[in-house]
Amino acid sequence: MHWFQKRKYQFWVWGIIVLIFVGSVLFYMVQQSQKHILRVGIFAGSNWNVPAGDSYAVLDAAIQSFQEEHPEMSVRYVSGIKKEDYAEWLAEQILQGTEPDVFFVLSDDFNLYASIGALEDLSVWETEDTSFQEKDYYAPAIAYGTYNGKLYALPFESVPTLMFVNKTLLHKEKIPVPDNNWTWQDFVDICRKVTKDTQENGILDQFGCYDYTWQQAAVSNGVQLFRTDGNFSYFADPKMEEVVHFMMDLRAINHGYNVTSRDFDMGKVAFRPFTFAEYRTYNPYPWRIKKYAAFEWDCIKMPAGPSGKNLSQADTLLVGMSSRTKNKALAWALLKKLCGDPEIQKLILSESQGLPVRKDVVESKDTRQILLKDAPGDARMDISVLSEAMEDAVVMPKFRKYTAAMLMADNGLRKIIEGEVPFNNALNKLQKEINAYLQY
Amino acid sequence: MKDLHRRQTVSGLHHFLYGFNGVVIFLIAGFMDITQKKIVQSMAARSFVEPLSSVPWPSQQILLGAVCAFGCLFGLSYVYREGKIRNFTVKYSLIVFEIIFCVLVMRSINMAYDGVVLLVVADLVQGYEGKNQKILLVMAMLALYIIANYNLAALQMKIVPIEAYFSYYTPMVQGVLKAVCNIFTSLNLVIFVLYMTMLVQSQQREKERIKSLNAQLNAANAQLRTYAFEVERMAETRERNRLAREIHDTLGHALTGIAAGIDACIATLDAAPDFTREQLKKIRETAKNGITDVRRSVKKLRPDVLEKLSLPDALHQMSREFDASTGMRIVWIKEIWPPSLREDEEVVVYRIIQEGLTNANRHGHAAKVEISVSLQDEGLEIILQDNGIGCTDISPGFGLRHMQERIALLKGQLFYANQEGFQIKAVIPIGGQHYDKSGYRR
Repeated sequence: MHWFQKRKYQFWVWGIIVLIFVGSVLFYMVQQSQKHILRVGIFAGSNWNVPAGDSYAVLDAAIQSFQEEHPEMSVRYVSGIKKEDYAEWLAEQILQGTEPDVFFVLSDDFNLYASIGALEDLSVWETEDTSFQEKDYYAPAIAYGTYNGKLYALPFESVPTLMFVNKTLLHKEKIPVPDNNWTWQDFVDICRKVTKDTQENGILDQFGCYDYTWQQAAVSNGVQLFRTDGNFSYFADPKMEEVVHFMMDLRAINHGYNVTSRDFDMGKVAFRPFTFAEYRTYNPYPWRIKKYAAFEWDCIKMPAGPSGKNLSQADTLLVGMSSRTKNKALAWALLKKLCGDPEIQKLILSESQGLPVRKDVVESKDTRQILLKDAPGDARMDISVLSEAMEDAVVMPKFRKYTAAMLMADNGLRKIIEGEVPFNNALNKLQKEINAYLQY
Repeated sequence: MKDLHRRQTVSGLHHFLYGFNGVVIFLIAGFMDITQKKIVQSMAARSFVEPLSSVPWPSQQILLGAVCAFGCLFGLSYVYREGKIRNFTVKYSLIVFEIIFCVLVMRSINMAYDGVVLLVVADLVQGYEGKNQKILLVMAMLALYIIANYNLAALQMKIVPIEAYFSYYTPMVQGVLKAVCNIFTSLNLVIFVLYMTMLVQSQQREKERIKSLNAQLNAANAQLRTYAFEVERMAETRERNRLAREIHDTLGHALTGIAAGIDACIATLDAAPDFTREQLKKIRETAKNGITDVRRSVKKLRPDVLEKLSLPDALHQMSREFDASTGMRIVWIKEIWPPSLREDEEVVVYRIIQEGLTNANRHGHAAKVEISVSLQDEGLEIILQDNGIGCTDISPGFGLRHMQERIALLKGQLFYANQEGFQIKAVIPIGGQHYDKSGYRR
């Protein structure tokens, strides 16, 4: 009996040991098999809300180049996720713990994922990797992927905002195209001159500008809207007052007429802020013919306010690494391939609509040729202007409540500019409201 | 029987506490698991993630983590309670692991339920023994509550608050869910308090039971002592009666006969001297018979051991037995015995030493007695030196008087003094050259 019990006991012990062994071998095998796959999260279409051709072309090229260096790895991505579905898709993947190792981050998502720790802090990788130099990149592009002083995502492509000028209209009105150092005063003067009733039917049918926002005015007047920690706002700043007055002046020129995009498309508007992506999309064939055939046009820097410079915001598409990935080193290598390889970055010019984030790529001869080839007529997109605009671009503050706070501010300022609320103390009130929200 | 029943109730409650917590944790983990899956299915992931301050665990990890960690916690607790572990280190490392798994369980379910802390507290209290553990107990409980304190943990441990899960549902369902959560917490508290009350009560009864058993034992001991005393008294009385009978039967008989015979001899002395001489011879015979009888009686009073062993051996045996029975150490520091002693002398020596030892133990409360026996010029000298409390007022009690009487029979002397305890010194002119001084011969 005793012998039997002993045997039984041994049987169980051995059984458990064998089970643990088999389990760990299986676990190891699954882990190993996962180690050979890198998953990338990407959306279809352009990040800049312009029509795009093959949105995976740059990624495919990067993957191919990456696999030549790491033949044991296979890189996969899910294609066909639209940009508007991408945020939800990514959130679902994160919730299920199956987010891709490397993924593109929408600018609305970046603050959230950086703050909750879904994105790997790249500062460590960046300092350890000598082949990665921040100075190779445009500073605003790097700043775009920085949250609380730490780098959470690398820039992939950037889009500065420029001022679109209807050269045909200005020529007709005998006004020279402004240079890149023009000011609000020049801007308002030209707007006043061109705003008129050409058909003399009592209705204004030629306008100064379309779609110029108070945000753009604030940037070019050097307004800092939020404290860096995002707990305080400066809407009552005198510079902001200048902005509001300027916006009211612009509005007054139109005598209450609301300029539409149709007016612009028909060539009846002199200025419109334009992203580089829009420039790249609508300037070459076939879009040029389809959309803006009636006039010649070009892009210059934004007008400078009395307290500011000829600056604008630049939007950047970011790529980050999941903090839960098991292949951090390889994910970092892929990130570098996507954002730091000059060959891949050069492809952005021909295959995407943004601007490469590497200075040397933008300022190279090839870039000039690509841009010139695509720019028919007498368009004179100057690479140095572009590079300067990118170099000096203003990056929106990075804190979690930014989007919501800006929505509140936009609402309040619209009312002030349109004269729905008296101006006298409105900015102070707005600042208090927004501070209350920020500090809540 | 009642106590056993109560103890069973306590351990039953403990198991129920574990069972209840297990169910609650499984339900909460399951709720989170299902909610996360539903959120993904209904495309609400982005708005769910929006207000969070950390990346939520994948749903299956929540469930698996909670169940595994709770299983480990239960296993550890079982070993802790049933293992009867005496080793301090093992016991406390068990508790430390229990705390670690407790935190793991709470982490898995995003700190939504801190009732598990009470499980560890219950184990701590049950295993609580004595003062030096009080600090440990307090520290462990404090640490657990600091960890369980939601706000602190949320900062450090990156928690997705359960309210975020609730917010996925309609306000009505949210109300129900919150109510259920509160009920779980309160119910757990009620069970815990009940368990603690029962545990404290049961331990109290146990203490009382031991106390009453102790009292009973003391009473029984006292009674036994009285019995022993009475038995001794009865034996003494019986012996006295026997002696009286013996004296009456033998010595009384002989003396009566001798007195009557001598009366007759006085009457017949002048008339018939020859007859009287014959009579006197007869009287002598009677007296001789009387002496023989007395001797026989005296012989009966001799200690048994002296019948079987020599005096030194008998004394050694007696002292060994005394040593063993009282725990008093008896040391023979000197032994010089006379070559031969008479039986009555042996009895006296034996009794002196026996009585001296008894006194040292009973009155002197001595732990050690030194005995020395030696032949001196004055005779046999016996010294008993003890290290007891001595005697401030030396009044010759029963024992000493007896001793003196016995020694006087042999024309000896007894001295006693307080000298680092109590010292008795008996000098008896027997043995060696004093042999003839005792006028009594066999």
